[in-house]
Amino acid sequence: MNWVTATDQLSLVFAALADPTRRAILAELTVGDATVTQLTAPLPISMPAVSRHLKVLEGAALISRSREGKWQRSHLEAAALWEAAVWIERFRGFWDSSFDRLDAHLATLQQEQENR
Amino acid sequence: MTTETPDLSISRVFDAPRALVYRAFTDPEQVAAWWGPTGSVRPLDEMEFDVRPGGYQRFVEVFPDDPSIRAEVHIDLADVAEGRVLGGVMRVRGRLPGGFEAFETRLRFEFYDEPDGRTRLEVRQWLPAHVSGATEEGWRQSFAELDAHLATMAVS
Repeated sequence: MNWVTATDQLSLVFAALADPTRRAILAELTVGDATVTQLTAPLPISMPAVSRHLKVLEGAALISRSREGKWQRSHLEAAALWEAAVWIERFRGFWDSSFDRLDAHLATLQQEQENR
Repeated sequence: MTTETPDLSISRVFDAPRALVYRAFTDPEQVAAWWGPTGSVRPLDEMEFDVRPGGYQRFVEVFPDDPSIRAEVHIDLADVAEGRVLGGVMRVRGRLPGGFEAFETRLRFEFYDEPDGRTRLEVRQWLPAHVSGATEEGWRQSFAELDAHLATMAVS
């Protein structure tokens, strides 16, 4: 595995997820694969605009696209999303251990106040 | 599965009054006592706090066991409501522990009264828009941890 490529990949995922329209498109794709026409229907933007968003999502490997005859369908690739989720989940451990110390700290503070 | 931007929500109840818990987040000496990765300390002479809307909190995390690690934490405070809310953007730079790279993340703490003089803290942290300054070694570590994590998930 090439680590530098992996880094770029995660940055692409974060950048792709930062946009609400792209998140809406991903949400739509959890229901099932869809064509650009189907994806455009519920959105207040043009088909070329949706196509541009799909290109970004594909670049981040959040979706893949396959051609079925005349139609190109987008498919959600959950693995990349999962990686981003793991990044943020690591903070749960950080906060949990910090808050354990805060717990002990608050107990000591209150003990000191009582002893005064 | 959800396709909301992955973010983090933590709810935790502390057995202390709200004013005291809030002070633990806003007083440099208090923050020095608990905030940070395991094994880190926060030198008081490198803490700079100006807690108000538009203010900031700055401090450094160093590791006595590994002097090569030094994380600079800058929080720009946007929302501050005395005793109730602290919210802003946290930027962490420097040489970070555990394979973390420099990052920037939106962060919000809310403090609520609970019965019997306790306080509920609600933490929300948002996914950063990008990760920068990655090093090969840092990512080797993170991906080793990621692999271990995924292995655990696969088993359970």
